[in-house]
Amino acid sequence: MLEVENLSVSYGPVKALSDVSLTVPPGRVTAVIGANGAGKSTLMRTLAGLVKPEEGRIRMNGQDITGWGPEEVVRTGIALVPEGRSTIPDLTVLENLRLGGMWRTGAQRTASENRVFSLFPILEERKHLGADTLSGGERQQLAIGRALMCGPQTLLLDEPSLGLAPLIVTQILHLVEKMARESGLAVLLVEQNATTALRVARTGIVLNLGRIVISGPASDVAADEQLRHAYLGY
Amino acid sequence: MGSFLDYFLGGIANGAVIALMALALVLVWRSTRVVNFAQVGQAMFTSFIALTAVNITGSWLIGLIVGIIAGGILGFIVHVLVMRPVRRADASGAIIATFGVLIALQSLAAMIWTAEPRAYPTPIEYAGLTIFGRVVPLTGYDVFVFIVMIVLVLFLTILLTKTKLGLSMRASAFNPEVARLSGVRVSRMLAIGWIIAGMVGAVAGVLIAPISSLSPNTFDIFLVFAFTAAVIGGLDSLVGAVAFGIGTGLILSLVTGYSDASNAPIVALILLALNLWFKPDGAFSHHKARSV
Repeated sequence: MLEVENLSVSYGPVKALSDVSLTVPPGRVTAVIGANGAGKSTLMRTLAGLVKPEEGRIRMNGQDITGWGPEEVVRTGIALVPEGRSTIPDLTVLENLRLGGMWRTGAQRTASENRVFSLFPILEERKHLGADTLSGGERQQLAIGRALMCGPQTLLLDEPSLGLAPLIVTQILHLVEKMARESGLAVLLVEQNATTALRVARTGIVLNLGRIVISGPASDVAADEQLRHAYLGY
Repeated sequence: MGSFLDYFLGGIANGAVIALMALALVLVWRSTRVVNFAQVGQAMFTSFIALTAVNITGSWLIGLIVGIIAGGILGFIVHVLVMRPVRRADASGAIIATFGVLIALQSLAAMIWTAEPRAYPTPIEYAGLTIFGRVVPLTGYDVFVFIVMIVLVLFLTILLTKTKLGLSMRASAFNPEVARLSGVRVSRMLAIGWIIAGMVGAVAGVLIAPISSLSPNTFDIFLVFAFTAAVIGGLDSLVGAVAFGIGTGLILSLVTGYSDASNAPIVALILLALNLWFKPDGAFSHHKARSV
């Protein structure tokens, strides 16, 4: 299980995260919501090892992984689907997938590949095509598929709704929720689109100016009108 | 004055060595997005080491093997000592650094082996083949170089497109962040790119040396030709580098044959300028504008 204690991150003089603590339990989706600039992506990038924290501890299954690089963090079972187009358009669909988890055994990789293809059948149909031929929604599926190829216990999903049609977002998020429930995957979902995120999540965490302001059952967070007004602006 | 056919055959032979050097340039570009102007310097330096091995052992083959190993080691050294530190600077900083490496290697070679040109032996007799009772300017050695080039291109293509290592290298070049998130040790892939390019450059050097003779500066002109071929081929494409390496060799041979050898570099630069003017992504480039 991924555990975060008192995490602080700064970009030069700018404090992006202050004293953030959270856990990402298995078998469910934990949603982090907040306005633009709240520190959501910084949190994800720090957990994945792309950004070095200033203070605090990150632990995976009890092991301290604070300050580890992304290529080491991913080997502990944490896979990030970064914001935006995180596929490589110059490679084929299959190559994009096979890039994930190359350190794993052949059998593990084949099992993951089959699982990804059963989750996202369109990827199998298009596996020999260039990733640049995919639509936005298919590309997001491919990005998630690549992360799953790393055999994660914890999946970090950064803003999967970005630039996608609402219907596709709902489909993808429900699939992720189902996957978490059925396979025991721990999912940390970051979203600006709070309504959709809280619908699939069990726990909701609201981030504002780099601090956690509310943390609780997703349904409570979704129902709290005052909070929505204050931090999410709708 | 020879015939068109003579120039044509001579051009293909010249083109094969240009293609080999262009391949090395493409390999570094593909793995690190840096044009390595030091490539000919590395090839020259490792050819001197190879020649030393040939002189000691008397075996051309041992010279080649020693050269390839030395080429890999030198590529790694250049990567660690020069390219890794300057990577924090911008791309032009890295390119200028490769010029620095070129000058340093040439000076060092002149200090160790003097600036005097030396002959480099060939594994096959360097004499024109007789075709239909007529001696043509294509030697058995040229044919050998051509075959080595084909084998090397096939090997590299399979390595880059069919193996895990190749996929890791390509992904590291296209998108280092996604590669790292996928578990690829990107800094290691960059080093491997420099090592492989150094080895290919060493093969090119050992094959060019008998034709041009070996001194700290005799390979310089091949940098101009190979750079032209690699850029016209799109810098990303092994096939492009080979096709335009041979093409450049042909054109230069015809220019040399019908006018004067001193015009060849000018024509190469004109080709380069025309290409940059009309098709800046390279003739074989299948990518749209990429912002790396």
